[in-house]
Amino acid sequence: MPSGSGSDGRGPTPIAGRSRRSFLQLLGLGGATAVAGCSAPDRNGAPTEDAEAIEYVEGTPTGTQTLNFLSVDDMPSANRIQLALDGAYAITPEQETFPLWADITSDEGRVYTVELRDNLRWGAGYGQMTAEDWVYMITEVYQADSNWAGYPNPGDWRQQGEPIPVEKTGPRSFEIRLQSVDPAFPLRPIMWGAFCMPKEIIARYRPDEDQDGLAQDEEVQTLAYAGNLGPYSFERWNRESEFVATRNEEYYLREVDDVPDEWQNAPYFDAYTYEVVPEESTRLSALRSGELTATDIPETRVEQFEGRDDVDVKVFPQAYMTSLIYNQRANGSFYEALRKPGVRRALAHAVDKRTLVDDVLRGYATVAHTFQPTFSRWYSDEQVTEYGVGDTYNHDRARELLREHFGSTPYRYDGDRVVDAEGEQLTLDLVFAQGSQTVETTAQYVAREYDAIGIDVNVTGKQYGTLVEHHLYNSWQGDGDPPWDAGPYNGGPRDQSLSQEPWDLILGITFNTYPRTPSSIQGFTLERGGINFYGYHPETDFASLFETATSTVDEAARRGTLAEIFGALSAEQPFNFLNMGVEVVGYDTAVAGPEEVFGYSWDQNTWRLGQQ
Amino acid sequence: MGLKWYTARRVAWAGVVAFVILTVTFVLLEHAPDAQLARVQFQAAASGRSAEAAAEAYARRRGLQGPLWERYLEYLGNLASGDWGWSDSRSQPVVTAILTALPYSLLYTIPAVLLSTVLGIGIGLYSAFNQYTKTDYAATFVAFFGVSIPNFWFGIVLLLVFAVRLGWVPVLFDAELARTRPLSLANARQLALPVFVLATSAIASTMRYARAEALEYVRAAFVKTARAKGASDWRIITRHVLRPTLVPLSTILVGDLLGVILSASYLVEVVFGIPGLGRLSLDAIRRQDTALVLGTTLVPVFVAVVGNLLQDLAYGWLDPRIDYGDR
Repeated sequence: MPSGSGSDGRGPTPIAGRSRRSFLQLLGLGGATAVAGCSAPDRNGAPTEDAEAIEYVEGTPTGTQTLNFLSVDDMPSANRIQLALDGAYAITPEQETFPLWADITSDEGRVYTVELRDNLRWGAGYGQMTAEDWVYMITEVYQADSNWAGYPNPGDWRQQGEPIPVEKTGPRSFEIRLQSVDPAFPLRPIMWGAFCMPKEIIARYRPDEDQDGLAQDEEVQTLAYAGNLGPYSFERWNRESEFVATRNEEYYLREVDDVPDEWQNAPYFDAYTYEVVPEESTRLSALRSGELTATDIPETRVEQFEGRDDVDVKVFPQAYMTSLIYNQRANGSFYEALRKPGVRRALAHAVDKRTLVDDVLRGYATVAHTFQPTFSRWYSDEQVTEYGVGDTYNHDRARELLREHFGSTPYRYDGDRVVDAEGEQLTLDLVFAQGSQTVETTAQYVAREYDAIGIDVNVTGKQYGTLVEHHLYNSWQGDGDPPWDAGPYNGGPRDQSLSQEPWDLILGITFNTYPRTPSSIQGFTLERGGINFYGYHPETDFASLFETATSTVDEAARRGTLAEIFGALSAEQPFNFLNMGVEVVGYDTAVAGPEEVFGYSWDQNTWRLGQQ
Repeated sequence: MGLKWYTARRVAWAGVVAFVILTVTFVLLEHAPDAQLARVQFQAAASGRSAEAAAEAYARRRGLQGPLWERYLEYLGNLASGDWGWSDSRSQPVVTAILTALPYSLLYTIPAVLLSTVLGIGIGLYSAFNQYTKTDYAATFVAFFGVSIPNFWFGIVLLLVFAVRLGWVPVLFDAELARTRPLSLANARQLALPVFVLATSAIASTMRYARAEALEYVRAAFVKTARAKGASDWRIITRHVLRPTLVPLSTILVGDLLGVILSASYLVEVVFGIPGLGRLSLDAIRRQDTALVLGTTLVPVFVAVVGNLLQDLAYGWLDPRIDYGDR
């Protein structure tokens, strides 16, 4: 390991900075010397003494908040921890589990057995990772009644309010006994990617429920307990500047035989650095200059990198959907009409989704028609009804359908314009989340499209937090207690549970479509769903369909039920499904490994320089 | 007695001002929409979990449990005992966070302030002595350019030209290098653009003030007398014009310094990726990290109070006619 020996005059930091130019030089040098047979990596892929250190530098806009994974609720922190802690297992793009620390199996989808590898060693003298560590963490932290550690997802380890029984069945194995069958359990981010901490560390703070003590523990803050459990070891963390991890020479996967060779020799970089660069232009400049190995590129800037020899632009499908959300609660100015599926379908005819994707998002998105991306195995072309593309993008047809479905609502056409009961022009309030140029442009485009069918739209931008507080949160305004309450986003029946400020349309709140575990979208589609802030009442009995889909182990049957759900959603149009986003990343051309598939980063540890 | 009494009163007032600012900041933060909480709740609800449970867990992690007054009194109690609290958004004590960030800010603000002060006053005096000449117009142009050009945009353009195209300086700020080898040439290279951008904006106001003030004295009777007595230009500038010019100028120096630290540094640190006080404060506000926001609020309060005090004391030194006996 060249740690400590590398120096390029940048100070005592053990890992030399690696620019694109020197990557290329290294590749050339590597080729020449390999022929001479003097610098081949050893069996573990470790560079020989005279090799230069190779650093993967990823540019990110935000830093990490903590390395205590028990309280992590943000991706930047989780990504950094993952360098030193592999997690239980990974999910491949084919949606199969790939054992890392452990394998998870089940016969009938209710009781899951987790079997740990036998060569998992904690650092800081905590010995071997055992099932006892896992069971203690799950029962004393995740399922603790007081949630003393501030664990962000306490509901993950409960069903119907009761803790999911977890029991040790051997020194390295434990069982998770679900109360009902859930064949998708391994795909939920509960055990998938789950980290663990030595029982002894947690036990120091559990008796006094000392969350502060745990958060401030030196071993927790430096991941000192990580041992051989990840491809990299924590090196240093300059808050708001950089997080550096160096190659872990003790990585446990080097000792196992049941993984492909490329995993046994991983990782292929001597150091992995997250460089925090808040300003987008600076980040992209650093990618151009070769100071960053990879960073995200917004769709509006991709053109600047196309055709460059030194940057490889890759486009990864994502599961996040942008929708035009309709307010069907009683404080909207058009809610009587928006509650009718016929009106919503008519409005879907008015917005050209293809133009949005091609012109506003520069082609870096795909058109959406239901609550599932087209690449999902649960998406069925036969069931889904498409609106807003081809023949179904038609203003005349939209007007015709609106006239037809206004019916008993207070709205009607007066000439070319839609008017209310008083004969006044209908004006809708469209609120969008500020911070993204494409969202703002989409809002303006929607306003223009609605104008073409006789509806005025007033466009207003708000900060995300303000938008949520003013428009998404809603609470009971009626007398007495609400008949039911599904949380801050759905405080009760739509006639009496209203947001602080009225609205008609919202843009910029993206929804996760959960292609791996599609039943997770129930909260969006049920009347009493926890996220149903828009007051949607489905005509289809989605609750029963979801019940059927989640409780069957037979995949073909699940596929049929889920296809029916997504078909019904496309027909009912609870909101206008506009497009599915993508992630665009610019890589140093020397980097080999990333594939343009959903869930692409699962094998990131095997990425390397092209000729390594 | 006069000066000591005056100083003691000013310091006591500083305590009152700090208390008022802290209280107002604490209350404002409590009532500001918390985007991070909204995200946490939204994610929980969207994945079928309890938004309330997520909010409770969030409050526990962020120390937001209990009534406002209780938390505030606890904070003040801790502050009085030297404990500025724990930053939840950085997982470290607030004092450590500030002491870590401060050197990065000083690394470029000190050269920028020194450069802008010396050059600003120098160019201002030169312009005053060469009023309405081509060089005066050129200096005025430079001043207006510095004031007018947005730091944010200017920084990005300079990076594109000097870092990306010419490769003279790095795009990314190497915090480890700055920490371990602050006086190295490599560190000077990476600080060149931030210092230049900051100095360009600060130099303008100093130069214009210096020019305007100096013009009052260029044709003053005592300057004419000095000339008549054969004093050299250099002596006239440094002994007869600069000193009276410095009295009003010193009144804007503290304001300038604060402006640099509070406003310009935010932008410069964001553009150049410097993990200094500006970004520390900005991120603390964005993440509603109460203890860190209050801690970073105390720093400019301290600079303002002490700076203004030193500035007032400097009057007496610059102009002996001023004294604090009856204040």
